[in-house]
Amino acid sequence: MTALRALDSANLNGGQKLAVKYFTVALALLGVQITFGLLAAVQFVMPDFLFGVVDFSIKRMVHINAMIVWMVFGFIGSVYWMLEEEAGAPTVGLKLGNIIFYVFTAAVLVVVAVYLLVQTGPGEIETQWFITEGREYTEAPRWADIGIVVCLLTFFYNVAATFSKGKVTGIGGVLLLDLVALAGIYTLGMFYTTNLTMDQYWWWWVIHMWVEATWEVMVGCMMAYGLMKVLGTSRKIVTTWLYLEVFMMFGSGILGIGHHYFWIGTPQYWLSIGGFFSALEPLPLVAMVVHAVYDAGVHKSRNNNHPAMGWLIAHAFGNFFGAGVFGFIHTLPQINLYTHGTQWSASHGHFAFYGAYATIIIAFFYIALQKWRGDVWMSGNLFGGWKWKWSMVLLNVGMLGMIMGMLVAGFAQSQIERAIGGATWTAFFAAQEHPWFVQGMHWRLAFGTMFAAGYALLVWDLLTIGKRETRPVQSHDDAALEAK
Amino acid sequence: MIEPVKLADFFLTFLSAASVILFGAVYALLFAYAKVSKMPRLMPLAYSAYAVLFASVITLAKVTNLFGSAFWISLVVVMLVGYLLAPHAIWHLCVGTHAASHHDDPVADKSDQTPAPLNFGSVNTFHQPCKEEAT
Repeated sequence: MTALRALDSANLNGGQKLAVKYFTVALALLGVQITFGLLAAVQFVMPDFLFGVVDFSIKRMVHINAMIVWMVFGFIGSVYWMLEEEAGAPTVGLKLGNIIFYVFTAAVLVVVAVYLLVQTGPGEIETQWFITEGREYTEAPRWADIGIVVCLLTFFYNVAATFSKGKVTGIGGVLLLDLVALAGIYTLGMFYTTNLTMDQYWWWWVIHMWVEATWEVMVGCMMAYGLMKVLGTSRKIVTTWLYLEVFMMFGSGILGIGHHYFWIGTPQYWLSIGGFFSALEPLPLVAMVVHAVYDAGVHKSRNNNHPAMGWLIAHAFGNFFGAGVFGFIHTLPQINLYTHGTQWSASHGHFAFYGAYATIIIAFFYIALQKWRGDVWMSGNLFGGWKWKWSMVLLNVGMLGMIMGMLVAGFAQSQIERAIGGATWTAFFAAQEHPWFVQGMHWRLAFGTMFAAGYALLVWDLLTIGKRETRPVQSHDDAALEAK
Repeated sequence: MIEPVKLADFFLTFLSAASVILFGAVYALLFAYAKVSKMPRLMPLAYSAYAVLFASVITLAKVTNLFGSAFWISLVVVMLVGYLLAPHAIWHLCVGTHAASHHDDPVADKSDQTPAPLNFGSVNTFHQPCKEEAT
């Protein structure tokens, strides 16, 4: 019997050792997100489920907060993973980076424990500081907010100091600027005003600018590195495309924030600005199809890591459909008047977050594991290769099923609750009781369960992939010959 | 400022909006594939996809009442021109960046970076020559 390949940290550089810690926590938090998503989905079908124990608002809060945090952990891990290779120097301040990792992880555990055990508090300043701030998506208490900024600044120090010591590549330069924005923009959500409109105005800066600006740029950097590693694409090409992507994304993405300002009490000109620039946001995605076809013609998708390549392709499609198509169909104010805040938004949100972010972080898990196992074979006829394929099928089909269930429910809501009922309380319940809505929620639960099964298989695969492989990683030249 | 969509036009709004992006992608896909594979016969199909995109934009503009003001009409024009020209611009950029990459990397396998032609449709003038081929 051949010896099993263990996960050996001796195969990794300092930054990568820290990266796999972040990846491990990210994967666990994905499990938390799925668990609380499923519990919330059950409550849509059985409204009194866990009533008085963990209310819907708490389940939803943990579900969404877990998503944000696992993705932030995934991004940080990905940056540490590529840092030393990009900079050509060992990570500066690695010890501090490790300390911050444990502090960050412990803080997340404390916040979640408070969410579940304390849940709510009186409308006083102490509640904001120690229990929850109450604003959706950024519910973390103030102490945790400050902690997040400190962690991000420490992370920035690690990255900036390492690039300063080594060389600043194109990817590195974009990354550095992005990390400044990542930490800076978060602070805009850390103050209150008594004017609800003004409060929401700045709150959207955190939500929109994080997700549609800094996270997208981060993903652009990850994609550039991923294409070099997996496909062997030249650095010059990926860097050029990274600059172009950043330019196009900022061109339409920043003012695209206007689509969040339609109905919060801001001046009417935001209807025009938001509608105009949001309508143009998918254009770069469509243009990128040309690049994808060109690269497929040049490289013929020759790669040395099939699971990572599969997830990078899923990212390209998911970003296009989830952010592009599902965003555009209800972005103009003329129709958004009826769809915002319904299951339409949930459908778009699930598709976009999964397609644009979850997929590429999973691709990085596989890139990391290949090296962690000692540059192991992850090409065709991979031992136990059925697991990554089936987990991918279950996760993708499960997500698509949930999206469609929510789409049907959202369609019923936009018509019955908004257009016919005029968004009254009675109309809200009329829509909730409509068969399309009810059936949509049942389908969401069914496909959510499928998604959870895909997650279980993904974890199993990540723990075992390459373990029984004796072949070394396939070189890009060999992959090219195989493709011919 | 805005005139909301009529209830009867909801489905048409979603359908036409989705069609704009999807046929934009089909146009870009066929355009790039026709070029990269030297198959000019696919180009009419690409422009047919653009024609559907054009019709979708007009339908969307009609049902969302965009023709009521010069501002929203300008959005329609920008979308139509943008979706038409963006694939051309990106194609030129692709050819340029890949060609530049060859010249900078003396050890690169140059055949690697050239779009792989298929066996049919060999109209030489159709393929945009990259710098390397031109020299």
